Amino acid sequence: MKKLLFYILLAVIGTIMLYPLLWLLGASFKSDEEIFSSLCFMPRELDTEVYKNAWKTVTPYSMGHYFMNTFMIIIPKTAFAVLSSVLVAYGFARFDFPLKKFFFSLLICGMFMPSIVTVMPLYKLWNFLGLIDTYIPLTLPALFASEGIFVFILIQFFRNIPREFDEAARIDGCGTLKTLFFVLVPCIRPAVISIAVFSFLWTMNDFLNPLIIINSVEKYPVSLALRLSADSTGQGYEQRKIIAMSVIGLIPSVAVFAIAQKKFVSGITAGGLSG
Amino acid sequence: MKKLFLMTTILCCTISLSACGNKKSSSVTAPDGKLDKCSLRFSWWGGDDRHDATLKAIELWSKKYPEISIVPEYGGWDGWTEKVASQVNSSTEPDIMQINYDWLVTLSPDGKSFYDLGTLGAFLDLSAFDSNVLGFGKVSGILNAVTVSVSGRCLFYNSDVFRSLGVGYPETWNELIALGNTFGSEGIYPIDLDIQSGSTAWYLAVVYVQQKTGRQFISPDGSLGFSEDDIKTALDFYKELEENHVIRSVRARTDEDGNAALYQSSEFISGNVAGVLEWGSAVGKYESVLPDGVLETGPLLADEDGNNSGWMIKPSIMYAVSSHTKYPDEAAAFLNFMLNDEECAEILGTTRGIPASHYTEAALEKSGSLNGLAKESSDILNAADTFTISPYMELPRMKSFYNAAIESVSYGTADTADAAKLMYGSVSEYLENIRK
Amino acid sequence: MKKNSYRNPVGVSRATGLVLISPFIVGAFLFIVYPFVSSFITGFASSRDHSVLSAFRSMLGNDDLGKAIGITLKYAALLVPMKLIISLLVALLLNVELKGIGFFRTVFYIPSILGANLAVIIMWKYLFTTGGLVNQLLGTVGISPVSWYGDPDSSLFIIVLLRLWEFGSTMVIFLAALRDIPKELYDAAKVDGCGNIRAFFSITLPQLKSVIFLNLILQIIAAMQEFNAPYILTNGGPLSSTRTVGMLIYDEMFRYGDESMANAISWLLFVLIAAVVYVMYKLTAKMREEQR
Repeated sequence: MKKLLFYILLAVIGTIMLYPLLWLLGASFKSDEEIFSSLCFMPRELDTEVYKNAWKTVTPYSMGHYFMNTFMIIIPKTAFAVLSSVLVAYGFARFDFPLKKFFFSLLICGMFMPSIVTVMPLYKLWNFLGLIDTYIPLTLPALFASEGIFVFILIQFFRNIPREFDEAARIDGCGTLKTLFFVLVPCIRPAVISIAVFSFLWTMNDFLNPLIIINSVEKYPVSLALRLSADSTGQGYEQRKIIAMSVIGLIPSVAVFAIAQKKFVSGITAGGLSG
Repeated sequence: MKKLFLMTTILCCTISLSACGNKKSSSVTAPDGKLDKCSLRFSWWGGDDRHDATLKAIELWSKKYPEISIVPEYGGWDGWTEKVASQVNSSTEPDIMQINYDWLVTLSPDGKSFYDLGTLGAFLDLSAFDSNVLGFGKVSGILNAVTVSVSGRCLFYNSDVFRSLGVGYPETWNELIALGNTFGSEGIYPIDLDIQSGSTAWYLAVVYVQQKTGRQFISPDGSLGFSEDDIKTALDFYKELEENHVIRSVRARTDEDGNAALYQSSEFISGNVAGVLEWGSAVGKYESVLPDGVLETGPLLADEDGNNSGWMIKPSIMYAVSSHTKYPDEAAAFLNFMLNDEECAEILGTTRGIPASHYTEAALEKSGSLNGLAKESSDILNAADTFTISPYMELPRMKSFYNAAIESVSYGTADTADAAKLMYGSVSEYLENIRK
Repeated sequence: MKKNSYRNPVGVSRATGLVLISPFIVGAFLFIVYPFVSSFITGFASSRDHSVLSAFRSMLGNDDLGKAIGITLKYAALLVPMKLIISLLVALLLNVELKGIGFFRTVFYIPSILGANLAVIIMWKYLFTTGGLVNQLLGTVGISPVSWYGDPDSSLFIIVLLRLWEFGSTMVIFLAALRDIPKELYDAAKVDGCGNIRAFFSITLPQLKSVIFLNLILQIIAAMQEFNAPYILTNGGPLSSTRTVGMLIYDEMFRYGDESMANAISWLLFVLIAAVVYVMYKLTAKMREEQR
């Protein structure tokens, strides 16, 4: 009985959460007129032609090509972000060193400042280094813990681990890095996975940075390719194709989240509610 | 915290000292009168139809001129302004660019950020363009850009609704206002205007006052032609439209449509709003949400004497060449191909609007590819005595002033006199600053 | 911000920490200090008479700014507490072992993936426009339709609701933290005859304190920098009632191309966020101390 109530509750909230995605999926099969005049997500007819066209794109490259480009950015970026954030957070959470307060304040300040102001100065820096139209400006900063938020999140999680763990590891002969990777990181695995997922999803959606940095269509990531057709100032504006493209663009994000969510919670039944 | 700010300040100072003194030298490559082997970057924004056609045109070019390869760079309109602006600011822009009219003001205020196309006569034939059309691209007398197509806003109507009510399209302002009663009794509206990025509400009010006074709102060089009284007249006219049920009030529109554009509004699709003021070059999206052939072009509104002056046109798309290009002749030859070549024109069709070049327009006319609402509205505007929209009028900040004034009048937070005063002040101050 | 500095383990030099954070030190100078300082200088150099002072003076002359600050603070005050509560409750709900719970976890995160997608814009339109679903529901209980989009007093709420609905990232952090709570605590509580609700208040909440603080700070920062949601839903209107400081900065930078104004307002927002976070830090200090 309790379980049933639980499922009903989940289903009700789930419907509210899922509806836009269903609508988006349905709208990709609708005519322009139908898209804006009906709230029902079921289209009048199912014609997959629009998806074939959207996948092909009008460029010489298919969406598959743009997905590969995106992964060439996302994979190193996420790996860099996780590695550097873990190291830096570990340093802040567990060690004392000169100027610690200063660097910690710098980390916090980096989070306060609207990122918009860094766009132009960084563009000039990359241009000076001759790296415009390469993926380096999009991936390399992650190696230097450029996402203060990730470091900040991990610091909080590191702090929750009792210091006895470190000490026990040291007595067992573990060095600084061994302690980190074999004792502490497994303790906060859900947090590490969360930041990996955030890094993936945010990079997937990031539009402004690649737009400014990448010039060659051949090197476009998905987020740019998705907007190739979106020009409402011109004549050839096909809403359903734009919607179909955004559905295609959502697939990796949903898939990655679906795979990762298992790791957020594992082996623990006690949540206070389940009884 | 305190310590941090201190240290940051010190850092600021040191870096600022080291950052000074690296001014980039800009030397313009002069044309040498021959075509060399090279590779040129060409950028544009657009939708699929434009991308597809342009890529095919480039293919044709590479068959004709295999020595000069064109590297295309293209994307959607979203963010394209930011991209090009950051390129021009860092001198990394492509050799040839499709540009928007108001970028002339923002990107080339002194007329020197783009190549002087007037010096490229060896390969760029400008004889097919009317001199006033060429004038659109001049900044401080320097030809910064060539107009690809010209466009203006016209009224387009849902013919089904007008037919079912048994009324014709309005020809004068008074007829338009009278329509409000006919439509109002049905609870629907003959047209709609908005205060979004297009700012059509202010546009129509400007046309009304320009026709009445013969004065242009803002001249092409950026001086304000309207007085505070003219602005008040325009705002009064807007208010009259709202009060007579010709258009929805800002509040009603926002409640019904949220932030969506009119072509995404169920009110327009269902015919509750039966008309729209739109660029001939961009009316396609309104056409496609209604059944085929339902949207029709209406006449330009005139006063009681049949004077229909005061309507406006502007270059909808232009081409410019980077002042940093190493290959001005080759860029000019490519531009000439895109603008004047008949074979190329067949491929491009009207994906960048009705061509302003007489060569290509004639070629398209002959092959019968010029038709539809875009062509009709362009013919109507060509036949009238029109003003050229100032690029200054189109600046986003200026639009925010218009929209704020209209909004305050519509919500009743200011009367038209106060709103006009405020708007006159901010518009004239801004124009003065930007023209410095 | 960190109060208690402790000693390093025996045999670990003071340089170890520096070595560990060395990527950040390099990164901080390249990607935080350099662009900020550069924005400070070049941004202001492009202002009319090339001085910091004039950029700030023209910022103070920006009529929208005062209003935008008020709206931003109001927005953060409305959104952040509600979002924390909802995401915590949902995280608890999803932190159970049930068949198919993974599906629900994914589904609940979907709005956050969608972000500012067209679907969201249109869905909100259908919910909150004149004849929209919400007004129809209100009508069935006899409440007259509310002017959600058009009324300057209610427009901010639909933006708050959008961001509430996109609670995914906050929820994920709570989920990750819930896992860290030792199961034995609950078992012990159960033996003591402790009910679920009491267990929540006496075990779950105290154990989550630092993560609640973490989410609080992250959400305050995000809310005060907000520009995307008002941008797509209301475009700042009506009557600038949803024009946040973040939106003002975005407009100045990208719509109006006024880099110096955008930079000046950004620095102001920076100080504002720092002040709010500092106040929250002080207010919650006592609460957080108890835990250690």
